[in-house]
Amino acid sequence: MRWTLFIGALIGSSICDREKFFGDQVFRINVRNGDEISKLSQLVNSNNLKLDVWKSLSTFNRPVDVLVPSVSLQAVKSFLRSQGLEYAVAIEDLQIYHEMDNIAADFPDLARRVKIGHSFENRPMYVLKFSTGKGARRPAIWLNAGIHSREWISQATAIWTARKIVSDYQRDPAITSILEKMDIFLLPVANPDGYVYTQTQNRLWRKTRSLNPGSSCIGADPNRNWNASFAGKGASDNPCSEVYHGPHANSEVEVKSVVDFIQKHGNFKCFIDLHSYSQLLMYPYGYSAKKAPDAKELDKVARRAAKALASVSGTEYQVGPTCTTVYPASGSSIDWAYDNGIKFAFTFELRDTGTYGFLLPANQIIPTAEETWLGLKTIMEHVRDNLY
Amino acid sequence: MQPRRQPPPAPRSGPGNPRPTAPLLALLLLLAPVVAPAGSRGAEDPGQPHDAGVPRRLLQQAARAALHFFNFRAGSPSALRVLAEVQEGRAWINPKEGCKVDVVFSTERYKPEEGEGHLGKCSARVFFKNQKPRPAINVTCTRLIEKKKRQQEDYLLYKQMKQLKNPLEIVSIPDNHGHIDPSLRPIWDLAFLGSSYVMWEMTTQVSHYYLAQLTSVRQWKTNDDTIDFDYTVLLHELSTQEIIPCRIHLVWYPGKPLKVKYHCQELQTPEEASGTEEGSAVATELSNFKKEKIIFSNFLKSDDTSINHFSGKIAKV
Repeated sequence: MRWTLFIGALIGSSICDREKFFGDQVFRINVRNGDEISKLSQLVNSNNLKLDVWKSLSTFNRPVDVLVPSVSLQAVKSFLRSQGLEYAVAIEDLQIYHEMDNIAADFPDLARRVKIGHSFENRPMYVLKFSTGKGARRPAIWLNAGIHSREWISQATAIWTARKIVSDYQRDPAITSILEKMDIFLLPVANPDGYVYTQTQNRLWRKTRSLNPGSSCIGADPNRNWNASFAGKGASDNPCSEVYHGPHANSEVEVKSVVDFIQKHGNFKCFIDLHSYSQLLMYPYGYSAKKAPDAKELDKVARRAAKALASVSGTEYQVGPTCTTVYPASGSSIDWAYDNGIKFAFTFELRDTGTYGFLLPANQIIPTAEETWLGLKTIMEHVRDNLY
Repeated sequence: MQPRRQPPPAPRSGPGNPRPTAPLLALLLLLAPVVAPAGSRGAEDPGQPHDAGVPRRLLQQAARAALHFFNFRAGSPSALRVLAEVQEGRAWINPKEGCKVDVVFSTERYKPEEGEGHLGKCSARVFFKNQKPRPAINVTCTRLIEKKKRQQEDYLLYKQMKQLKNPLEIVSIPDNHGHIDPSLRPIWDLAFLGSSYVMWEMTTQVSHYYLAQLTSVRQWKTNDDTIDFDYTVLLHELSTQEIIPCRIHLVWYPGKPLKVKYHCQELQTPEEASGTEEGSAVATELSNFKKEKIIFSNFLKSDDTSINHFSGKIAKV
């Protein structure tokens, strides 16, 4: 099963005209003469490629926009190259942002799409705020996803979770009581530039897409860029490294946007960061092997959450502090959150344990999201019952 | 999905476990994890600070290295195994030489079939030499698949490979959405087998690898019926998060030892890793079916001597 079909199902709107799904691309094809037009017609009319002309041909020297489903990308590219047809991939408009907008429109009393900043390449950073109460600064939970762009199950789980929250409010007692007391802020794509890059150029891109002066290498690791033992062990000062921490803490505008928002709000009690892969549920610290003062409580909650998660499909998670469970990592989001008064700080490394790794098949999205939801609820319920 | 198994409530020392120190290991299991850091007073020093995570990670590293080596030596794309759970083990750490790890772990089939829940069991001695590749490994595993079945599946895979039309128009396996077309599955399995050799050589106390994606494949015609192909894989190294492209050249025939040549690009460091393996497998299969075990070892005589005299601090888990 394709991610495209599954994400389409997740997003759920009726499909009359073919909508654009994850991984699909819009090709802008230049046609310069009648010969090229007929070649292009040949391509578009071939049944099995399922192409969709978005902006069609009227005269020569006008580009034609064609929606190419992800499954046909390779075939179309080969064809265009072999026929000498010029094309360019149009800049992606993130499908997830449309879905966030839809959720807010469908549930206006509960959900709002809020812009908290922008990325290096000037894409908006949107969160969904779920709130039942009036008044500023209710105690709040931050759900972070997609900070490492290649970890696609993270963004997918986040958008599924957004739908789940609005659908289950006033049906499920747990989420209803959580929302009675607290607000939830969900950032499904914490690294939009990286995400687009994984869809258009390099599926395994991890970092941001910021420029590094003096280096041909691009990007910093946004999860080494937070102000928590910044540039300590478990990060690199080499811009070409996948764990390059950046020139200084919060140098990455994507990170700074979140930091500024959370600090301005001032009343966050919980910060959960979704990653993949390895099936781990971790709490601070990553930057040192020292024990966090609340380690005992965090460990207990995490174990309960892992148990709840496993109850769905038997998926087993290891639990522990970041540094010793996976590896030392400085400048990480949850360490920053914890050291800034957000006690309930957790990282999920979602499915799987290496068989598919980052390239988790689409048919595992919903099972992953469903089990993760139980883990998230366990943590959120504990926060609700232990507000400080 | 690869669900991790629950750790067993008590140490297993089932039939067929050949290790003479098994009862000792059983005593050590999961009691008070103790790490004796370098420079401490004695080999078994209960006064040292607890650091439960480190030995566990080291045991996992050893288990992974042993499993890559096992998969390579077994030379069977139908019988590939993955790590299920580390069960017990201990390590001797010598900062100058490296570390020696004894580990017992369970495995499951890479391609789980419906209704199959078999967990194989392995025990291994792994010697990680500081700054040197190719950990020395002695690994013993219980049989997971019946020999005849494995041979049949290997031969089926071989025929599928031979029937592939060249040039193969593949850009990546899996595709970016994690999908592997069933007709391409044999290519993936064989690539995983070849990559096992590479990953064995490159696994250290701290580095470990997964096969992320195959980005090019080319099959060559042969005169002698062997499968011969070149491919490019992307390996994902977990501690640095790097993606490492490797060119691999592989020659295979069912039942024969695998021949692998490779060249990996190390992006961070200027050195590039490459290696060749054309040796024959040292496989010993015991005839008693119930206790059937498969043993592979690449211990050199010199390794063996130095390991036996290896003195270091013991970390027990």
